[in-house]
Amino acid sequence: MTPARHASATASDPTMIGSGPVSSAAVIRLHDVKKSYGTGAARTPVLRGVSFDVAPGELIALVGQSGSGKSTLLNIVGGLDTADSGTVEVLGLDYHKTTERDLAALRNSSIGFVFQAFNLLDHLTCLGNVILPAAFTRGAVDVEARGREALRRVGLADLAMRHPNELSGGQKQRVAIARALFGSPKLLLCDEPTGNLDSETGREVIEFFRELNEKDGVTLVIVTHERRISSVARRIIAIRDGELVEGEDVALGPGGPS
Amino acid sequence: MMPVGNLTKMVLRNTVRSPRHFVLSAFGIVIGIASFVFFLGLSMGVRNVILGKIFPLEVVEVVAPRASFMGKDITKKLDDATVDLIRKRPEVKTALPRMALAFPAAGYGSFEGQELKFEVGGFCDGIDPSFLADDPRLGPLFKDWEAEEAGHHPACVPPKEGEQNPCADPEFYYCDEQDNACHRRVPVIVSPTLLELYNGQVASTHGLPVIGDLEQFVVQRGGLGRMRFNIGLGETMVAGSATTVNDKRRRVEGMLIGISPKAMPIGMTVPIQYTRRWNQEFSGDEAANTYSSIVVTLSDKDRLAVFSAWLQEQDLRLEDQLGERFATAIFIVTTLFVLISFTIVTISSINIAHNFFMQVSERRREIGVLRAVGATRTDVSLIILGEAALIGIMGGVIGVAIAYGGATMVDWASKTYLPRFPFKPPTYFDFQPWIIAGGLGFSTIFCVLGGFLPARKASRIAPAQALSQQ
Repeated sequence: MTPARHASATASDPTMIGSGPVSSAAVIRLHDVKKSYGTGAARTPVLRGVSFDVAPGELIALVGQSGSGKSTLLNIVGGLDTADSGTVEVLGLDYHKTTERDLAALRNSSIGFVFQAFNLLDHLTCLGNVILPAAFTRGAVDVEARGREALRRVGLADLAMRHPNELSGGQKQRVAIARALFGSPKLLLCDEPTGNLDSETGREVIEFFRELNEKDGVTLVIVTHERRISSVARRIIAIRDGELVEGEDVALGPGGPS
Repeated sequence: MMPVGNLTKMVLRNTVRSPRHFVLSAFGIVIGIASFVFFLGLSMGVRNVILGKIFPLEVVEVVAPRASFMGKDITKKLDDATVDLIRKRPEVKTALPRMALAFPAAGYGSFEGQELKFEVGGFCDGIDPSFLADDPRLGPLFKDWEAEEAGHHPACVPPKEGEQNPCADPEFYYCDEQDNACHRRVPVIVSPTLLELYNGQVASTHGLPVIGDLEQFVVQRGGLGRMRFNIGLGETMVAGSATTVNDKRRRVEGMLIGISPKAMPIGMTVPIQYTRRWNQEFSGDEAANTYSSIVVTLSDKDRLAVFSAWLQEQDLRLEDQLGERFATAIFIVTTLFVLISFTIVTISSINIAHNFFMQVSERRREIGVLRAVGATRTDVSLIILGEAALIGIMGGVIGVAIAYGGATMVDWASKTYLPRFPFKPPTYFDFQPWIIAGGLGFSTIFCVLGGFLPARKASRIAPAQALSQQ
């Protein structure tokens, strides 16, 4: 991963790392987002005024050391956590002005999540996990067919009726990806998606993300330590101690930037 | 809110996947609802027998309390004016006077080959035939036949012992020794209480047949003519007392025509015109115009207290109301059982809350996943509340089934092992729809209440934290 690549990846993008002009068509718009945990003396700032935009079709690697706030940032973007202050606008929805119901609908229809720990429900089959979002959608049609299609896309069509505890780690992550893709999301948020996978499986997942981005135009934000992801990312956002890092080079190594 | 169909499917799936949780949560509810339904059904069943058959609460008996002053009887007289006064009360539906025999009388005859003797004076009263007008079988028979057939009494010669009855229709008529004319036998009815006492006590000790259906019993023995007996007016069976009144005595014949709850409980009941004439004949005018009691049917049994208070103002009172005492006793016992059931279900509800709190803690990650894929806080709450409600409904259904099973066993044991006794019912239970609905509703509501706080906790779980849980 080189700075030159970053430069080329962002050359056509009006958004710069940490700051810059805001695109009106941005998928994600963050402005001065702050977040702390704890209260009083135990209060720990996690995000200290983060601002950046993500344009449609970008594949972004969000990198940083453990505890740097990247997962918190991803959760805030996904509406799974709330910012203490600042503006969060995703797919045109301003989180501070929206209702909990609209936010849930956004997660249901337009945002997909992929987690390091897969987060599959063991009592459901693979297909059951994939079509889980449909349970919260009014008037969902062809649910099972769409679920099977999502499984086919990740190469697990034959395992639709298996339970997660019968699958390997790589297969579980692919089921999780199929679930994330079920609603044909515009934005895919991935938190360390290859963290629990062997290198070969990790490579396949990364390749899948790249294809998804290039062929389907899905915007991806991937929290990662992986160099390989950074190599396919069209833009890297580095975060350290709750702030975006502005610099020429962000070198990645095992466990975080080195 | 998520679609109801999807919510239902998810709730069912979650319940089925954790049978241990279901059993732990539902156990107390099942026991509580089973006891609730069982005891309420039992109370209603017992109530039906005691208050419906033995001591009907809607029907009360008004009497005049005994009073004397300076040795003189100043007891208020129950006459037609009193009856009219009572009939005008808004809480009174009907008021019918009863007139007891005011002099001794004795009954004798034979029954099933055995000689039968019994006291009638004190155990006989008269009621207006209109009291039985609504009975299609007894109504046409229970009449003042002397008035109906006045002037149409064919002459006869009273038969000597062993001679045939000379009257044209010997099944219904006898030859009266006083005027040598054929008279219709006095129609007599007895109460189900007396029949039950006969079946439960007399029949077994004297080797007599148990009477199930009196009509069938009569038909088998050749008709109503076989149910006749003599009434010795002015005679008595009570040892040591005078055997006649003013040396006057007369024999009439009676005939048992049927069973009616409107008959006096222990004794026999005839049309009031007979007792009025006999009292006139044996005890004079005052006895012929004074009623022993007035049977009042209330329009609403809940108005009893108002009516009772009014009676006291009139120097009258209600005959000792055993039914009321039983009703109170049944109410207390029922309340006690319902309270016990409530306690069990309340404890179960707390147990459910505890179980669901544990479940919510164990399912934090799952709840996080649901939120991530589009569940709102309300959806999460509804899922937990739905699971609690399902436990309530299923626990309620199982509880009701156990109550029914228990009731069936009790009835079977009673039928198989308990000897016959008065008013022994075919079932001790009356599971009215409101009891079943109450049991199911009660169970569901308490379970939902038990699930309320855990559901609130679940809805407040921060999805980001839940998903990062290891």
